[in-house]
Amino acid sequence: GCDLLQKSCQTASIATAEKAAQTRKHVDAEVQTEAPVPVSAPSVSPHDDPRLAAFLRRVEAMVIRELNKNWQSHAFDGFEVNWTEQQPTVTCLHTLGYPPAQGEGLHVTSVSWNTTGSVVACAYGRLDDGDWSTLKSFVCAWNLDRRGLNPRQPSAVVEVPSAVMCLAFHPAQPSYIAGGLYSGEVLVWDMSHPEDPLLWRTGLTDDTHTDPVYQVVWLPEPRHSHRFQVLSVATDGKVLLWQGVGAGRLQLTEGFALVVQQLPKNTKLKKPPRGETEVGATAVAFSSFDPSLFVLGTEGGFPLQCSLAAEEAALARMPSSVPLRAPARLTFSPHGGPIYSVSCSPFHRNLFLSAGTDGHIHLYSMLQAQPLASLQLSHKYLFAVRWSPVRPLVFAAASGEGDVQLFDLQKSSQKPTVSIKQTQDESPVYCLEFNHQQTQLLAAGDAKGTVKVWQLSTEFTEQGPRETEDLEQLAA
Amino acid sequence: MLGLGLPQRPPLVEETLKRIQSHKGVIGTMVVNAEGIPIRTTLDNSTTVQYAGLLHQLTMKARSTVRDIDPQNDLTFLRIRSKKHEIMVAPDKEYLLIVIQNPCE
Repeated sequence: GCDLLQKSCQTASIATAEKAAQTRKHVDAEVQTEAPVPVSAPSVSPHDDPRLAAFLRRVEAMVIRELNKNWQSHAFDGFEVNWTEQQPTVTCLHTLGYPPAQGEGLHVTSVSWNTTGSVVACAYGRLDDGDWSTLKSFVCAWNLDRRGLNPRQPSAVVEVPSAVMCLAFHPAQPSYIAGGLYSGEVLVWDMSHPEDPLLWRTGLTDDTHTDPVYQVVWLPEPRHSHRFQVLSVATDGKVLLWQGVGAGRLQLTEGFALVVQQLPKNTKLKKPPRGETEVGATAVAFSSFDPSLFVLGTEGGFPLQCSLAAEEAALARMPSSVPLRAPARLTFSPHGGPIYSVSCSPFHRNLFLSAGTDGHIHLYSMLQAQPLASLQLSHKYLFAVRWSPVRPLVFAAASGEGDVQLFDLQKSSQKPTVSIKQTQDESPVYCLEFNHQQTQLLAAGDAKGTVKVWQLSTEFTEQGPRETEDLEQLAA
Repeated sequence: MLGLGLPQRPPLVEETLKRIQSHKGVIGTMVVNAEGIPIRTTLDNSTTVQYAGLLHQLTMKARSTVRDIDPQNDLTFLRIRSKKHEIMVAPDKEYLLIVIQNPCE
């Protein structure tokens, strides 16, 4: 039972009084607005309009007739025009290598094209198990447009005291290139000065990565878009942003750390081994549509959607001169093994690909944790995947079985359209990159220390009429 | 009181353009004057200016081609078909009507 209480309230009585008002004087006045001046971006003086109306009256019927005819016409079905010389097959344009590196059994761990598309550089190192921290290695560059190109003699060679794991050419300076080392350092070289190429280095400080750096990318500075910073990811779970400052030093400007407890819990993941709190990052790709949005590939096999604008502090116990933040916003459903490569579509804001040791490619949409599609490309590992810069439905993958596989989702969603055999003895292809200036070129590096530049057939370089629509359909 | 001396913008112009723009597959519609300056458009500014300038020149060239071959002839309509869509130009002494359509493949 409940107690009932009765209460009441009442306002005090309102005082009222009667009053009247009347104007004593009045004056007559008139008000009229000025006719508004019509504001239109292309200004038309009013007397043109009747002539414009007459013109439209004259042509409307004809235009509607043509629009209708066009809509129903089959006259151009299957009609294609070839403006460029047709390249029917994929051919190997160059086979490049540096004999001293190949003699030491070094692998090509990474390739990169420079901003003009005429220079291809490769990093020599080792991707198999072992301690490669003191292994002397090389960064080599070949200028493919130069006459008298010697495929066994690079135009520039830089000796590096530790294995180089990844490379990225500067987006504006044709000779600047950044590299991540097995030791955790990040270095930037100027390949046009072979005698003294080193521009900046992180050195081995408290801020430096404590594990091999698997990928470096250049990002425009937030306030000065013509200047760039270097972002590095490593298996120590850190994603770090570096700025070149005086005296050749790369200084840490921002940092993120991936900690198991802070991963978004939207996807159920396997419990990590006892005591491990870091999530090793192995690959990174930035969205072409939102410059602060990026995807990380992890050792745990699950991609992470992250943002540069994330503010939550990371629960990392690593020392750092800059506060580390937790960047992850969404955890995607995992592969059956570590991811080695991720790539964001240059044509669709939500689509990205990931490839890993389970031999599968996953196609994800940023909007959902489960992949849209999963394709098995290899019975061994997949080391790299890249979207084509010109064909929205095409991507290339590098496999541990020694081939470069080109997929055209318009032709088949099950098997590759072309499978290019790069190595004769099935040793793995570790890396590949499309040339964004000369879009028919694709460079791939393998475990034999060779970089092959492939010229793709025209079907891989010219966009078909309905590709963007088909891509939208795929993402739906 | 409404200003009586000012002619109302004839509804015919807007109605006609709306009819054309809402036709199946039409991506954009614009009217360009004899100097190549756009006076009506359904597309953004930079795209419009680009189309207007380039197509005005091309239309003049097409017209002089037709008249050079036969001075008694004249250009009535210009169509450019590209991989991605079709551009239609209806020419006139004072104006050009440009319509961009994505035809059914």
